Amino acid sequence: MTAIEVNHLTKEYRLGALAGLKDNLLNTAARLRGREVQRRALFKALDDVSFSVDKGEVLGIIGHNGAGKSTLLKVLARITTATSGSIKVDGRIAPLIEVGAGFIPDFTGRENVYLNGAIMGLSKKEIDTKFDEIVAFAEMEEFIDTPVKRYSSGMQVKLAFSVATSIESEILIVDEVLAVGDLAFQRKCFDRMEELIKSQGRTVLIVSHNIRQVIRMCNRVIMMDGGKVASDGDPLQVTELYYNQSNQRIQQNQHEATAENARIQSSGEVELLEINVLDGNENITEEIVSGDSLGISVKLLCHRPLEKPEIVVGTHTTDFIYLSAGSTAVLDDRPDFTAGTHVVKYRVPSFPMVAGAYCVRVSIFDSNGRLVLSGETLKTFTVVPLPGEAKHPPLRTLHLPAAWDINNVE
Amino acid sequence: MSTFFTDLYQYRELMFTLAWKNIALRYKQAYLGIAWAILKPVMLMLIFTLVRSFVGIDSGDIPYPILVFAALMPWTFFQESTADGVNSVVGNTTLVKKIYFPREIFPITAVMTKLVELGINFVILAALMLWYQMAPTIYFLWIPLIIAYTVLVALTISLAGAAVNVYYRDIKSALPVLLSLLMYVSPVIYPLHLVKEKLLVQQAAGDWSNALYLLYTCNPLAGIIDAFQSVALRGTAPDFSSLVPGLIATLILLPLSYRYFKRAETYFADVI
Repeated sequence: MTAIEVNHLTKEYRLGALAGLKDNLLNTAARLRGREVQRRALFKALDDVSFSVDKGEVLGIIGHNGAGKSTLLKVLARITTATSGSIKVDGRIAPLIEVGAGFIPDFTGRENVYLNGAIMGLSKKEIDTKFDEIVAFAEMEEFIDTPVKRYSSGMQVKLAFSVATSIESEILIVDEVLAVGDLAFQRKCFDRMEELIKSQGRTVLIVSHNIRQVIRMCNRVIMMDGGKVASDGDPLQVTELYYNQSNQRIQQNQHEATAENARIQSSGEVELLEINVLDGNENITEEIVSGDSLGISVKLLCHRPLEKPEIVVGTHTTDFIYLSAGSTAVLDDRPDFTAGTHVVKYRVPSFPMVAGAYCVRVSIFDSNGRLVLSGETLKTFTVVPLPGEAKHPPLRTLHLPAAWDINNVE
Repeated sequence: MSTFFTDLYQYRELMFTLAWKNIALRYKQAYLGIAWAILKPVMLMLIFTLVRSFVGIDSGDIPYPILVFAALMPWTFFQESTADGVNSVVGNTTLVKKIYFPREIFPITAVMTKLVELGINFVILAALMLWYQMAPTIYFLWIPLIIAYTVLVALTISLAGAAVNVYYRDIKSALPVLLSLLMYVSPVIYPLHLVKEKLLVQQAAGDWSNALYLLYTCNPLAGIIDAFQSVALRGTAPDFSSLVPGLIATLILLPLSYRYFKRAETYFADVI
């Protein structure tokens, strides 16, 4: 049984502001003289979107900002109309587009519960029977007869969430509302959502940037990109794609930002010609997989001979946290450098940083320890995540291989 | 038009709640509370009575203060419900952008809200009638019909006005000016029979007199105010000749206004 069917949905917006009297007069004058009138450009917020949702399915919608998620929800909730395409909805839709829409500051909590309930489509009788439960869930018994303008923002959101989730509709739309209140209340919200989904078998659409929550709650995920459905299917696969895209986007931004940021100090004796990142097979590359072998080759031109120079090659993050560095000082017999080109290779067997953009730095000292050349952000490379990145926890910088032993400790 | 009525029925509870919200909101943290609803027509009545003592307006057998109050009741109701109705969609921007229900609920609720204030003014009317020792007649039963007609007139302007107001806020500035002009071409300060006598009996505008009177009564308020005064104070049936032109105009314009509103409605959330 399908609960929602979306067919070739397209929504266009006109960019820019509504024309005032002056623009209208000028445009009319132009048209009368047979000239082309400049029209405001169109922007496709949704571009030929099609999908269907079965009854009882929990669908997650993810995507970057501006991907069209909210527009899609607005069209589904009938707040705005699509330019073309159709939607078939079987059942009552309760919009959770934003909790607390229409709370009136001058009204007491009690009055707002009734008002908000009515706006959401609850009858007075329904609210009467649920009132105590709504207030108890929000933990607001003490303050329910105080005007909402005296509430803290957390109190308002708690009450609003409580009202919104008490609606008994077949289809629930949730837009980034799970993380409200303090940690204890977030826990309650989460449990309530799970209860709505699992025990009552409702069809739920969740829009969220919290990918881990989406993976946990949804049995299907749609990724939107540029107003289109970029991917649709199993939560783990789709979210992994999303992770990769996010990383690429971040790295692209950082590459662009750092490309011209190379900081070089030099005495002029040595010139850097080329720096390359090498993968495990000595091939020049721009990206390596997290944990793989990393090689860096530095090609330099000496304008005059250097006696036993010390060469330091290292990596740092785009915000200048120095990660690894190696120095030829550890070598017992460093060669002398004649005038001319030389190639120095630096290799670490495993570069365990998590996915992200990293930079190369190089320093060269003469045998007396005098700085000849020092450069940072000379080359930017990308570490791509391991397969199954979505299963690894966030909040880590290093990916160290680990073994687990659970309940086998003797 | 039939969806209009099913919608109305389906969302009746929401409308009552929103109307209650409007009323409660208006008088929260106001010391005089609901008394403000009475104050406006009463003050206007006193001022007009004062003015009349200089210029002299023939009010027939009816004492002028109560005659002008009976004109001010439908007029104030019309004026305020239209003003609120036109601003009702823009005034509820947060709701328009967040939640769907048929948007005509906003102007309808705005008009409904003013019915309550009109009801309160009947208390003053009763007190005035008591003071002037006038007894209500059987013709009082006309009043609900006259008010229903006034509601339709207010909605005709509110629906189209509210829709245009979403696109161009000029309406918000223009409306008070237009409404105060409309008051002077409605028989509020002066009774309708003076206009009738001047144009139909004395033919004051020559050949144009009859046409001019027809134009005057195309303003629905002309018929409404006169009918209200007749059934409440004069104890006679309404003068249909003054009601019909306005009624025809309303019945033609209301469906157009509603259709325009419904067509514009789908873009409210995008434009507002």
